[in-house]
Amino acid sequence: MQSKNTVLINPTVNTGRRTVLKGATALAATALATPFIGRARAADVLYINTWGGPWQEAATKNLFEPFTEETGIEIRTVSPVSFAKLAAQVKTGVYEFDVTTLGGGDILRANQAGIIEELEPPYEGGLFQNGVASHAFATVLAWRTDKYTDESPKDWADFWNVDKFPGPRSLQRYPARVLPIALLADGVKIEDLYPLDIDRAFASLDKIKPHIRVWWTAGAQSTQILRDGEIDMIGIWHGRYYEALDAGAPVAMTWNQAEIDRAYWVVAKDTPNMEAAKKFVAFATSAKPLAGFVTQGQYGALNPAANEFVPASAAERSPTSPENYPKVFEQDVANFGADPNEVAQRFEEWIAS
Amino acid sequence: MNGLMKAIGFVVVCFIAAPLVIVVPMSFSDARSLQFPPPGYWLGYYDAYFRDMSWLRPTWNSILIASATTVLTMTLVVPATFALVRHKFYGKSVANVMMLMPMAVPHIVMAVGYYSYFGQMRLVHTHLGVILAHSCLSVPIAFLVLSANLKGFDRTLERAAQSLGASPVRTFIHITLPILRPGLLISALFAFIQSFDETVVAIFISGRDAETLPRKMFDSIRQEADPVIAVISTLLFVVVLIGLLTPYLVRGLRGRLRTRNAGQEPPPAALAPQE
Amino acid sequence: MSVSTGGIQDRGQFWPWLLLLPLAAYLLVFFIVPLVDVAIMSVTEPKLSLDNYTKVLTGSLYRKVFINTFATAGLVAVCCLLVGYPLAYLMAHSSDRTALLILLLVTMSFWTSFLVRTYAWMVLLGNQGPVIWFMELIGIADPPHLLFTRFSSTLAMVHILAPYMIMNIYTVMKKIDPALVKSAESLGARGFSVFRHVYLPLTAPGIANGLVLVFVICLGFYVTPVLLGSPREQMIAGLIGHQIEEFLAFGLGSAMAMVLLAITMVILAIYHRRFGLDRLWG
Repeated sequence: MQSKNTVLINPTVNTGRRTVLKGATALAATALATPFIGRARAADVLYINTWGGPWQEAATKNLFEPFTEETGIEIRTVSPVSFAKLAAQVKTGVYEFDVTTLGGGDILRANQAGIIEELEPPYEGGLFQNGVASHAFATVLAWRTDKYTDESPKDWADFWNVDKFPGPRSLQRYPARVLPIALLADGVKIEDLYPLDIDRAFASLDKIKPHIRVWWTAGAQSTQILRDGEIDMIGIWHGRYYEALDAGAPVAMTWNQAEIDRAYWVVAKDTPNMEAAKKFVAFATSAKPLAGFVTQGQYGALNPAANEFVPASAAERSPTSPENYPKVFEQDVANFGADPNEVAQRFEEWIAS
Repeated sequence: MNGLMKAIGFVVVCFIAAPLVIVVPMSFSDARSLQFPPPGYWLGYYDAYFRDMSWLRPTWNSILIASATTVLTMTLVVPATFALVRHKFYGKSVANVMMLMPMAVPHIVMAVGYYSYFGQMRLVHTHLGVILAHSCLSVPIAFLVLSANLKGFDRTLERAAQSLGASPVRTFIHITLPILRPGLLISALFAFIQSFDETVVAIFISGRDAETLPRKMFDSIRQEADPVIAVISTLLFVVVLIGLLTPYLVRGLRGRLRTRNAGQEPPPAALAPQE
Repeated sequence: MSVSTGGIQDRGQFWPWLLLLPLAAYLLVFFIVPLVDVAIMSVTEPKLSLDNYTKVLTGSLYRKVFINTFATAGLVAVCCLLVGYPLAYLMAHSSDRTALLILLLVTMSFWTSFLVRTYAWMVLLGNQGPVIWFMELIGIADPPHLLFTRFSSTLAMVHILAPYMIMNIYTVMKKIDPALVKSAESLGARGFSVFRHVYLPLTAPGIANGLVLVFVICLGFYVTPVLLGSPREQMIAGLIGHQIEEFLAFGLGSAMAMVLLAITMVILAIYHRRFGLDRLWG
């Protein structure tokens, strides 16, 4: 855990070794690399880190294509979204993407580690920790209706109740989202969640661990295992749930105790495409494109100006609609309760042990 | 004993064949999921593969990288193999082991090394970086194949040519190379395949701009098990099948032309790429 | 390979070295230096100390993963033998045509990409795959989940590595003189006894070769366990990858990599002393 902190905060560790190694091979590298240097990427391509799936479909149609039309800047995508990749870029200086979205937990870490650019607020109240607030999405409890025919699970306590609802389960391999859920399952009230009682959360997770068949790491993977019935119950992003439902899978979900996350656009620190990147972030969070994006992607817009362009019919599947919002809870990332890096390492060790 | 052994052997044949057979019908399935038997058949995912740049680009990258790797590997390995097979010198056994080392080191270890080292040299996510790494990994295979060929080389012809006054260079070009050509070709083919199939190092260093096909497949299987993978699997499978059958077909054809039976040599034995 | 077939006595030792030089330089810069980089990182990231090794060698998680890696590699090697031996036997004792067909199948499996075969097992063992389908057909009401378990990753690895074993054993079997078996039988030995006392010992070198090769390759396996295995039974390569990709923990990942490398090298060094390294892949 220490190593991670150091690496993230101080990307130039061990300059001495680096220099030696570089010197040893500089000659060979230069000679061999020369023909390739001319092929450095064109300045009018912007690389965006995406979540794939329905997220990307909505983003392509409502954000990427209109942006290219307006500015002439071509957009190419790289997925899946990875905090570690973002950090690695700054460390290695090799940029895989210029722009990405981060959830609430990661944006604090990213800003503290200095791996994202400082931005101006594009609309009032839109800037949080150098990320521009874009949309809200939720981690919901979903299950196979062909498996649980008599009674449906209602909350995370039911997810933990393997006697009443036997069958393999899946959760995201992501402690910031899983720990609050574990506490809810253990009987903690929503208003008492934060700061998180980390030890109690892990104790609660111990109980469900033998029944977690897959710790999913990518959104598409969660859709696939739910759709193909590799698991019977899952904590899944609501957009991914609807993807499985629309594919005809026998599945159901509840908004009850759904966990809201806010997604923020950020620009990778020192990226070579700074100008275009900042331009894109402002574009993507402006009212009309954002409204189109959240309508198609079934998210909740965080720029209030966008809401007037969102049709009322989109509300049913949006986590922030008046109908759904009272049942859900929001993450309180500023009040997390522990060092997120340490929790992340502990979570990984816990998974493998 | 004999019967029991053979009976188990037949079961094993099915075990070996099943995964190879299954991907073919899957590639024609019209379901998004991994449903078998497929609910219906169509060519949609073939269409998707040949239209989707996010699949075609990695395919092209892989071909390009494997070709360049082959050229680089052979340029380095051919002279070295001649030195090791035909000369005695101090330190030879060390050099010999050195040539085989890239095969012995687990690829994940090399992946960590390249990720850090090439990162500092700005070679991560470049074609050049992957080519340089793959060339190291292809050295042992190319060397093993070529040295086996060279050891079986009858040098009488070379000596005859030289005794007739041909210079060493002329002898090499007109005698040695033509005789060695099949060995060189197979050696180069192995180097190509080693690079084309290499996954672990490519996952770590091929990145956005030089993404190879195995990396793309790995990501896709890990994330969503895109049905296009079945299409690519089938295509790769067919390429391997053609590659393996060609020698037999050619030989069979020649044999028929010469109206005599061709000997049955086994195809290239288990010379192993790692993952 | 240690025996030179060349008759020419060299004019000094200049020429062979000149021929070797480009490759030696290349491997030094692009093979040795990256390895040394891993070694250096393992003791310098994040600071100069042996902390990473202490953690890897004493931490309960890492011990568990190493033990699991060894157990899996051993299991896979033994399964490969159990699968490969009868198949090699079938090949060695069939008509040329049958042997050739099986050989073709094995070679084809061998040359088919790891990823293709891993994916195929995903289809075969998936919840909507043919194995489950067949189980339901014969009336197993609640068939078990097979995918993402130790079973699925082990099975796929056995399939992927079996060709190495088969080729090694087959080569040895082909060289056995049938007269030996015949004469043992004529002396009154029967079925199993002939096999145990005559045939099996003669194939032992192939078995040993195959076991070492499969075991060593399996130790460093990354792709298949990551894609098909259970998160609770990770293998060391997967953990290294995860530490690097998700945590940028280069020091810890490097230390694990060095331990894996050391284990692999010790096994191969022992093998090299006894048999010679170049025979392993031959």
